[in-house]
Amino acid sequence: MSEPWPVWAGGGALAGVALGHWLLTGRLMAISGRFTRLVDGLRFGRSELQEAAPVPEDELLALLRAATAAEFGDVEAEAAAAPASVEDCLLPPPGQPQSASAQPWWFHLAFLAALVAGGAASAALAGPLQAEFAIRGEGFKSVFGSGPAALLPLLIGGVLVGAGTRMAGGCTSGHGLCGVSRLQRGSLLATAAFFGAGIVTSLALGALSK
Amino acid sequence: MIRDLAATLAVAFALGFSLSRIGFSSWDEVHAMFTFADLRLTLIFALGVAILVPSWVVLGKLQKVEWPTRGVHKGTLVGGVLFGVGWALSGACPSIAFVQLGEGQLAALVTLGGILVGNYAYGAIHARFLRWDTGSCLDR
Repeated sequence: MSEPWPVWAGGGALAGVALGHWLLTGRLMAISGRFTRLVDGLRFGRSELQEAAPVPEDELLALLRAATAAEFGDVEAEAAAAPASVEDCLLPPPGQPQSASAQPWWFHLAFLAALVAGGAASAALAGPLQAEFAIRGEGFKSVFGSGPAALLPLLIGGVLVGAGTRMAGGCTSGHGLCGVSRLQRGSLLATAAFFGAGIVTSLALGALSK
Repeated sequence: MIRDLAATLAVAFALGFSLSRIGFSSWDEVHAMFTFADLRLTLIFALGVAILVPSWVVLGKLQKVEWPTRGVHKGTLVGGVLFGVGWALSGACPSIAFVQLGEGQLAALVTLGGILVGNYAYGAIHARFLRWDTGSCLDR
């Protein structure tokens, strides 16, 4: 089972997972969105806000604003910006089931941990599980080498991925898969942008390594 | 709550497994996709989208659902470009870094640290200096 899936199986699996995400959780799949909510949840303690439902939202938001301002006086502007998005996320969009209100931040941690488990299960099926502090592949080695310097493109690339997906409001799942298939203008533009930039960057890397 | 958590875990496991089986978690495969050396990943992605287009139309009618729109805002183009450059360099979109970890490609920890820093930093920069309307709670 070490051969990669053919096109029909891969495309079917991606569509199946996206549909399963909607049908089972009542939300559209958006990995960078989960990442953002996890980061902000750890930062602003949003989970408390979601669990204390009996208190009116307005009061909670005012409390949160005050508490955040008290604790991090120098990031008042950020704290002021944060509750607005909490408010939006707590209200399910029109026509959407009530269950679509925000999940607590640790759900996102659980989701990301299950991604790791899925990758491990796939690798275990392909052969004995092995771990090394590296990125596998002859191509990667030929472009970046295998020394510590090969970690630099991972770090720089990671920062760009984190900042870019948050700035664009989505990644390959939210924009690329779920947004493009719903013919959303923002998703079409973002997807064209990241595929285009990926093509240019990879062609440049390929030319440089020759 | 338990049901929601179980569903979330099941979908994530299926996604991680599928991405790994497809080869999306391989830097070489992603590089081959972007340099047109191998069209398999591109075709897989296109097929996934092609299946989803009519599926959303049918589901939307059956369930009488209207999903949130994803409009263009000031960060759409620039953010997309930054993400594309980062994806080509690291070989990872956000979920892939986690899948690589599971496969034992532990250097993905560096990528993951970068994603965390980038996400946090852009959130702070946006809140303090930019603050344009992104039209969705997920975008802020």
